[in-house]
Amino acid sequence: MKDGNVIKTIGCLAWREMKRLTAIPIYFFAMVGAPVFSLVFFLSLMYHGLPTDLPVAVVDLDNTATSRMLIRQLDAFEQTKVVCVSPSFSEARQEMQKGKVYGILYIPDGFSVKATTGKQPKVSYYTNGAYLIAGSLMFRDLKTISVLANASVGLQTGTAKGITEEQLMGQLQPIEVETHAIGNPWLNYSVYLNNTILPGILQLVIFLVTVFSIGSELKNGTSRVWLSEAGGSLTVGLLGKLLPQTIIFTLVGFLFAAGMYGYNAFPLNSGWGPMLWAIFLLVVASQAVGVFMIGTLPTLRLGLSFASLFGMISFSIVGFSFPVQAMHPTLQALTNLFPLRHYFLIYVDQALNGRDIFFTWGEYLWLAAFLVLPFLIGKNLKDALLYFKYIP
Amino acid sequence: MIQEHRLHYIIRNGFLDLFYVWKDELKRVFKDEGVLIFFFLVPFAYPLLYSFIYNQETTREAKMVVVDQSETRLSREFIRRMNGTADVQVVQVVRSMEEGKRMVDEKEAYGLLLIPSEFSKDLHGGKQATVSLYCDMSALLFYKAFLATATDVSLEMGAEWTARNHPQPTGQMQAIAVEPIPSEHITLFNSQNGFASFLVPAILILVIQQTLLLGISMAGGTAREKNRFHSLVPMVCHFHGTLRVVLGKSFAYLLLYLVVCLWVFAIVPQIFSFPQVGSPLAVLLFLLPFLLASIFLAMTLSGFMTQRETPMLVIVFTSVLLLFISGISWPKEAIPSFWKAVGYLFPSTPGIQGYVRINTCGATLNEVAPEYRLLWVQTGFYFITTCMIYRKQLIRNKQRLTACCRALRLHRAAKQA
Repeated sequence: MKDGNVIKTIGCLAWREMKRLTAIPIYFFAMVGAPVFSLVFFLSLMYHGLPTDLPVAVVDLDNTATSRMLIRQLDAFEQTKVVCVSPSFSEARQEMQKGKVYGILYIPDGFSVKATTGKQPKVSYYTNGAYLIAGSLMFRDLKTISVLANASVGLQTGTAKGITEEQLMGQLQPIEVETHAIGNPWLNYSVYLNNTILPGILQLVIFLVTVFSIGSELKNGTSRVWLSEAGGSLTVGLLGKLLPQTIIFTLVGFLFAAGMYGYNAFPLNSGWGPMLWAIFLLVVASQAVGVFMIGTLPTLRLGLSFASLFGMISFSIVGFSFPVQAMHPTLQALTNLFPLRHYFLIYVDQALNGRDIFFTWGEYLWLAAFLVLPFLIGKNLKDALLYFKYIP
Repeated sequence: MIQEHRLHYIIRNGFLDLFYVWKDELKRVFKDEGVLIFFFLVPFAYPLLYSFIYNQETTREAKMVVVDQSETRLSREFIRRMNGTADVQVVQVVRSMEEGKRMVDEKEAYGLLLIPSEFSKDLHGGKQATVSLYCDMSALLFYKAFLATATDVSLEMGAEWTARNHPQPTGQMQAIAVEPIPSEHITLFNSQNGFASFLVPAILILVIQQTLLLGISMAGGTAREKNRFHSLVPMVCHFHGTLRVVLGKSFAYLLLYLVVCLWVFAIVPQIFSFPQVGSPLAVLLFLLPFLLASIFLAMTLSGFMTQRETPMLVIVFTSVLLLFISGISWPKEAIPSFWKAVGYLFPSTPGIQGYVRINTCGATLNEVAPEYRLLWVQTGFYFITTCMIYRKQLIRNKQRLTACCRALRLHRAAKQA
C-alpha cells in the first residue's frame, strides 16, 4: 500500500467508525455523557473547596463565663459549628454515633478556677476517626482552641504582672511553626481531589469504550469486514477505528481542563501547554491499554470486566489519597502500569508546583511508551479478529 | 367449581412456581460465567486488593529536608527531635534554600523545614522564634505528618525553654507560665487514624451494591438477548404471575449474597483486623434491607438493559460518584442539597453511613434509625417498580404470543384455502 492509500483507508475506516458511534446511544452516553456529568458533579459537590460549619459537641462541666467564652470562640471558627452543649459525655458520644457531630470538646469541672490557680486542668478533645477528613479538619480547630485557651489564661496572669504581649508569646510559645502549603495554600479539597479523580474517570471510560468498540466487532461478527477494509493490516485498522475516539476523548479532556483551570481557576503554575499535552498523552496511552485488554481477553464481556477492574483500581493505586511510598513495594512497582499514575506525577510537577520540565519529561515518556502495548498483543488480537468463534 | 380457581390451589401453585423460578435463577447464575465474575470473583478479590493497597494504614517516615541557616545547638536539637519521631524522617540537612528546593523538586523529599538564621538569637532574646514549613501538596497525609510533628516538637522544646529561662518561685507558678491548660487529643473509633479502617468499610458496602447492579443487569441483558421476543421473562408456564417471578428471583440473589456478605463483612475485616465493634446481630439486621433494596434496584434497572455488556458502560463509573455522595469522605454537611437528594435514591448512601457507624463506631440500630428506615423505604419503592417492570414484560409476552398464534392460524387457513 502507498502512503496516500493508507491515509485514504484510515479516513474511510474513521468514517465507518463515526457511523458506528452514532448508531447506538450507549457510545454517546459513555464517551461524553458520563464524563461531563462527572465533571459537573464533582465541581459542584466541592464548590466551596473546604467544608464549613462541621458540627461539634461540647461537654461543659465548668459552666462559667470562661468556658462559655471558649465555646463561643470555637463556634466562631469558619469550619466548626457548635450544635450541642451537653452536661454528659455519654450523650455527646451518642450524638457522634448518630453521625450528628464529628468532634467533642470536653471542659472539666472547675476548669476556670483551676486554670488561674495553676492546677493545670486538662482540656480533652475527641474526633471521630471513622470520618477521616471531617475528623482531621475538626482536629485543627480544636487544637487551636486549646492553644488559645492557654494564651488567654497566660494573658490574664501575665498582663497582671506587667509583661508585654510580645514577651508573653515568647514565653508561652517560644517556637512558632509557619506553614506554606506549596501550590494549594488554601488546602482546597476540590483542587486536591478533582485534579486526579476527573482524569481517572476519563481513563476509565476510555478503557471501557476502547474494549467495547473492538469487542462488539468480535461479538457481532463484523471483525473480518473491518480488517479487510483495512487491507488486512491491524495497525491501519486500529488507527482508523480509534482516531475518531481519540479526537472525542481529547476534546472531553480539554473540557475538563477548561472546567478546572479556567472556570474554577485551580492552580496552573505551568501554563496550559504541559497539562494539555499530558491530557492528550493520557488519552492515547489509555486507548493503547484498552487495545491490550481486548487483545489479551478477546471476549467482550471478559475484556470489559478487565477494563472495569483496572480502571477502578487506578483511583486507589495512583497514590493521591494514600501515598504510593507507603504501599507495599510490589504495589509500588505495579503503579507504573497505570497511565493515570504518570499523569498524576505530571500534574504534581507541572500544574501544582510549576517545576521545570526537566523534572517531568520522564513521565511524558512513560505515557508515550504505553503505545508499544498494542504491538505486543497484535498477533493475538488479529487471530481473534480473523478466526475466533465468539462464545457469548 | 373448577379446580384452578380455588384459593388453596392458587397459593400452592404460586409457591411451587416461586420455588421453580428460584431454582431456575440459581441454575442460570451458575451457568453464566459473566455473572459469576460479578457475584463471586469481584466481591472475593476486591476487598483483598483494597485492603492490601491501604494495608499500611498510616504514613511512616515521611521524607523531609531541613535548611538549617541557624546552625546552632538549638537548631540541631530541633532537627534531632524531628528525626526522632516515627512520622518524619529528615533525609538531609542543607545550608541553602536553593539546595533544599532542588531536593523537593527531585522528589528526594516531600517537605522542607527552614530554620532561619535568627532562630537561636530570637529565642535567647525572649522573642518568639519562627520556623517555616514548606509542603508538597501532592499527598495530604504527608502534609499532616509534617505539620503535626513540627508543631509537637516546637511545643515541647518551647515548654522546656520557658521552664529553663523563666524559673518561677513555685511549681505552681511554673505550671501557669509554661502551660496553664494542658490538652489531650483522643481519636475515637478508629484510634490509629488508619486509612484502610476509614475507607475500606465504605468500599465493601459499595462493592456489594455495584456487583449486584452489574450482575443482575447482565443477567437481565442476557435474558433479553436470548429469550423469544427479547423479553426479560422466559415463556414457560411457571413464569406466569409477577409476584412469583419477582420474589423467586430476588430470593435467589439474596441467598447468594448472604454467602458473599459472610466473606466481605465477617472474614475480610478479621484477616486485616479492621475495627469491628458493632454487634454482629445489628450488622446482619442492617444489611438485610440494604441487600433487598440493592437487589430490587438492580432488578428495576435490568428492565432497561437490552444487551449483556451495556450495563458495565453505564454502571462502573458511578461507583466513584456514589462513594463521594455517601458522605464518608466528603462530609455530608458540605454536600449541596440537590446532590443529597440524588444520594437518597441509592441504597449505598444510607448503607455506608449506617454500616460504618455500626461497625466502626459501635452504634446500635437505634442510632442509625433514619438510615435504617430509609433502606426499608427504598426496598418497598424498588420492589414496586420491579413488579411494574416485570408485569409489563409478562403482559407483553402474552400479547405477542396471542398475536403470534393468530398469525399462525391465518397462515394455516390461507394455506388450506
